[in-house]
Amino acid sequence: MKSRLEITLKDNLLDAEGLKLQKNAEKYFGIELESVRSVHILTFDSSLTEEQLETVRADAFTNPVIQISSFAPLDVDFDYCLWIGFRPGVKDNAGSTALEAIEDILSIKLPVGDAVYTSKRYCIKSKDLSYEDADKLSGELLANDIIQQWKIFKKDEWDKNEGVGIIVPKVELNHTPTVETVTVESNEALLEISDERNLALNPNDIPTIREYFLGSDVRKDREEVGLSDPTDLELEYISQARSDHCNHNTFQGIFRYKDMETGEIIVEDNPFKTYIKEPTLKLKEMKDWVVSVLWDNAGVGKFDEEFNYTITGETHNSPSNMEAYGGAITGIVGVYRDPLGTGLASKLIMGSYGFCVGDFDYDGELKPKLHPRRLLDGVIEGVKDGGNKSGVPTTFGQVLFNQGYLGKSLVFVTALGLMPAKVEGKLTHEKTTTAGDLIIMSGGRVGKDGIHGVTASSEVFSENTPAGHVQIGDPYTQKKMHDFILEVRDESLMTFITDNGGGGLSSSIGESAELSNGCIVDLDKVPLKYEGLDQWEIWISESQERMTIAVKPEDLDRFMELSRKHAVESTVIGEYTNSGKLHIKYNGKTCAYVNIDLLASAFPQWEFDAEWTSPEMRGLREPVINPPKDYNELLKDLLSRPNICSKEWVTRQYDHEVQGTSVIKPLVGKGRDVNNDASVIRPVLTSEKGLAFTQSLLPMYSKIDAYHMTTCTIDEAVRRMICVGANLDHISGVDNFCWPDIGYNEDKNPDGKFKAAQLIRSCRALKDMCEAYEMPLLSGKDSMYVDGHLNGPYGETRKVSALETMQFSTTGVVPDISKCVTMEAKSAGDSVYLLGDTKNELGASEYYERLGFTGLNVPVVTPEKYAIIYKALSSSIEKELIASAHGVYRGGLGTHLSMVAMGGALGLDIDLAKVPVADKIDREDTILFSESAGRFIVTVSEENKEVFEKIFKGLPCECIGSVTDKNTLSIKGFDKEIVSVSVNELLSAWKAPFGEMI
Amino acid sequence: MSKVKALVLSGYGLNCDHETAYAFDITGAEPKRVHINGLIDGTETLKDYKILVFIGGFSWGDDHGAGVVQSIRLKTHIGDQILEFIEKGNLVLGICNGFQTLVNMGLLPGLNGDYTDRKVALTWNDSGNFRDEWVKMKVNEESPCIFTKGLKTLELPIRHGEGKFVAEDDVIKQLQANNQIVVKYADQDYKPAEMKFPDNPNGSMLDIAGICDPTGRIFGLMPHPEGFNHYTNHPDWTAKKQQALKAGTPFETGITEGMQIFKNAVDYFS
Repeated sequence: MKSRLEITLKDNLLDAEGLKLQKNAEKYFGIELESVRSVHILTFDSSLTEEQLETVRADAFTNPVIQISSFAPLDVDFDYCLWIGFRPGVKDNAGSTALEAIEDILSIKLPVGDAVYTSKRYCIKSKDLSYEDADKLSGELLANDIIQQWKIFKKDEWDKNEGVGIIVPKVELNHTPTVETVTVESNEALLEISDERNLALNPNDIPTIREYFLGSDVRKDREEVGLSDPTDLELEYISQARSDHCNHNTFQGIFRYKDMETGEIIVEDNPFKTYIKEPTLKLKEMKDWVVSVLWDNAGVGKFDEEFNYTITGETHNSPSNMEAYGGAITGIVGVYRDPLGTGLASKLIMGSYGFCVGDFDYDGELKPKLHPRRLLDGVIEGVKDGGNKSGVPTTFGQVLFNQGYLGKSLVFVTALGLMPAKVEGKLTHEKTTTAGDLIIMSGGRVGKDGIHGVTASSEVFSENTPAGHVQIGDPYTQKKMHDFILEVRDESLMTFITDNGGGGLSSSIGESAELSNGCIVDLDKVPLKYEGLDQWEIWISESQERMTIAVKPEDLDRFMELSRKHAVESTVIGEYTNSGKLHIKYNGKTCAYVNIDLLASAFPQWEFDAEWTSPEMRGLREPVINPPKDYNELLKDLLSRPNICSKEWVTRQYDHEVQGTSVIKPLVGKGRDVNNDASVIRPVLTSEKGLAFTQSLLPMYSKIDAYHMTTCTIDEAVRRMICVGANLDHISGVDNFCWPDIGYNEDKNPDGKFKAAQLIRSCRALKDMCEAYEMPLLSGKDSMYVDGHLNGPYGETRKVSALETMQFSTTGVVPDISKCVTMEAKSAGDSVYLLGDTKNELGASEYYERLGFTGLNVPVVTPEKYAIIYKALSSSIEKELIASAHGVYRGGLGTHLSMVAMGGALGLDIDLAKVPVADKIDREDTILFSESAGRFIVTVSEENKEVFEKIFKGLPCECIGSVTDKNTLSIKGFDKEIVSVSVNELLSAWKAPFGEMI
Repeated sequence: MSKVKALVLSGYGLNCDHETAYAFDITGAEPKRVHINGLIDGTETLKDYKILVFIGGFSWGDDHGAGVVQSIRLKTHIGDQILEFIEKGNLVLGICNGFQTLVNMGLLPGLNGDYTDRKVALTWNDSGNFRDEWVKMKVNEESPCIFTKGLKTLELPIRHGEGKFVAEDDVIKQLQANNQIVVKYADQDYKPAEMKFPDNPNGSMLDIAGICDPTGRIFGLMPHPEGFNHYTNHPDWTAKKQQALKAGTPFETGITEGMQIFKNAVDYFS
């Protein structure tokens, strides 16, 4: 029976959801609404009787204190009613939990096929609202056509008995799963099929693939299992494994790097090996705390004698660009499976985010799929639901606006875990599969989710076509699985675990079977969300919340018992073997039989031409600016700039202290509203050791040179660590490259060679910095093709590429959290010191950007020199000599003195003439806004000055002023006071752009 | 003397089990994290415990109202056991999602000894959004609440999207009359927040942050006492440490206000 239950708040209660729509309609589109009430709808497609439905209505889905409900449409007045529901096949998390509630309250087990679908309608009162505006609110504020459908009802069209109707978005495929074989007669034929089927095989790989399948030994082997030409499943398997996502072909490619100034050509063979792998292995030898790197889902570092921490960072750009909420929640929930699938599983202990989007108030003529503001709303909410509902504190994050991200936005998500170094005497960072181990899939079920990524999104929709290629992560299901897996680990019931992410079972089983040297899988045993999936779809589906686990047969019973206890679905779907073959069957019939070592065979490297044209050759010069006169206004304007200003509203939506481990929060200071340099947690509650974390994003410097972008980004991430009390003995890094397309094409990517050169320069910088700071990389990822083709007003499309971007995350062990330091000025009378030299380095700075220039003098990082200062500062913090420490970052000294003052709600008296400089600087604006790296502002109390100054003897460290109780930032220039502005005013300016948002 | 046993519920998306157990551990109890299904299938029985804690988290993803599905599962399967547990004079604490569960089960407010009736609700914050921040609260010293004995004020983190306390006027009156309103949101000087955001972070009627049953043995609150298990959890600790260093006074690193709530529960049985 199909029935529809409507639930709404009693009309004397404030409807926060309705109010949100009302506010956003006004804020985003200037559409004024009188009132909005929301109605929640549950549509039952079930075997429940009327009596049962009534019990469910009254006792489960209606809160008698605040709600009313009815199976007939509720009589809520409106001028327009907007109904928003999911498309078929889109993960409806609340629909699934409704089933659990029904089963509990009725003490029954519902038959397979019974379903509940959730949707909403918004009852809008507004005399003047037009149909077009109602459609705009539906399509551009409430729903995304990729995953949702909507209906608009006018008051006079509303049928009081029918309401919105009974809409059941059930998936019906009516398809019999079939395995197809694919001809390998010629390169051209295979390439054509690859295009037709969205296999995305690289043309260079095709001869290798054909050679394999045409080989007489292989054909003889295959005949024995009833196969000849490759099956679609086999080609999908190879395509997944060879994809840039899984195989990092770009970074392992051959680059011919030409310096256009000198004409010199350097061949860079496999930058991954040269610039990431080799330095990491070298540093692993030097640092005994590096436990496991370069092979697992996350890197492993030593926390203390008992525990190791795990860390990795990911991006989820393309999906978030299409469906911001779904993409972002899938991203964060997905990256949380990486530490869970590292070694023999680690507990999630923290996460972070980085969002890069186009200008918040963009009103230009290009039409991105989602306006940056809406996209940002969506990704913020996605990471919020994904992170908070996972029970993992989100202790750090950044939001960055730049027009380059209008083409494609970036969503960085980073995850940290913790695991005991040993369980029952076995090292937890080691794992392997052995012939005879059972292959188990735990967690969610398999649907058409994520198959061929976003390419499927352009397909035509029908009423029952699953729209599952855009995914919505389910943190609830995953949290249950997380708790389950930790118990499995603690009882030593598994020998291997990895997550199902990109490539699904194809990647997780394919890669883990290399360890045992073979596997046999019965695909028909894989639990499905709905019938009718082809075998290859089951094999590569990226349905979320799944782990692949190896269990010894003797441990299976206990494993399954725990699985039932945690209400997690686990299924034995095969066995690891040592046959040398990846053997996949469906209902007993073989549909894949491939040599496990095929992927290790010599596929050709990708090749790129890189041409480096220096900034000078590109015509970049320093601008001509006569120094400003009104520094007060200038400073306030800089503080109001989108990439400097307060984004407290984002930070507060994230639970940053669940698990009870918070030591240094993302927002600190007197008003608890200013961003700290890094966060610190106490992951082991019984220990006084901390784990510090931070990240940096400075893509603007790529306008001049991605080498310096990279050095500045990494230096900032290191400095942020030092500020809270971590030290160079133990800081590890995670690199996340996000680059525009680097493959040269005369028409489609004419500047590809330059972008390729930027990539090489960035890789070189990465190695230089890691070696200088003796900082091993524990993990890293790359995401290429950060470009978009946007519709313009004349029917044309325009390509928009992002700046070459690297997010660099650092983490470090703080030996004693009682010595941690925050950034804000603490007490009037303390001295303000500036550490590190200021240079004439305004290139691509916030200051130049504000005035409309790029300039040329990008900050040049000298890590060997800085390291001495960093060690001295760490030593001062260790000796508890420092009251506050804060780095000087974007916006320069003026901006960051303001931060220190705002944080402490105290004044500062500063003398610019005292600022340490490498070479004489005769301009006040240069000193105030230069973004030279390697600098800190620290405050020190009177009694500690002497010892502090002794530690810094001979280093660039000067007392530039003092903390006052006057609530004024006062800065003396070369001859007179140039800044005198109240700290409250600075704070207001800093909060102005987003201060109203909560 | 053997330690007081505290049962900390876990599973189904709950997520504060480790730190809640830790809080009991350091305040002298013997805590155990028990999966909801462990109680339902009889692996564990409430008979062995003196304190039952409904913890924070997102049980069943908070779908269909925070704490709603959890309350259905518990009420349907072990509702009688829980009532028996209460009858015996034991203690029940509900934090955040646990508080939401207690009110949906009817264990709070427990007016006139009826522990099955839903009389109050915790619904969406007026902001419509989840919020993490530390709040100050004034403790009702007249309240029979066991957990807040000796406390005058509290400062703890809130981390919720659905914490707005709502009830009919007659219910509110009874709560006031019985001194069942235990903690109210306050401003920076611990004066009543008077509905002002962000001191009252969610729009709760009468600034209510937590209530107890008429006996004072069942207590539910939205803020997280287990989130203040160590002095470094407090947002001002680095500033306070500097002040102490300057004044030459010792810097307080002992038991926190948050832990006092757990300690009061443990001490009740000794």
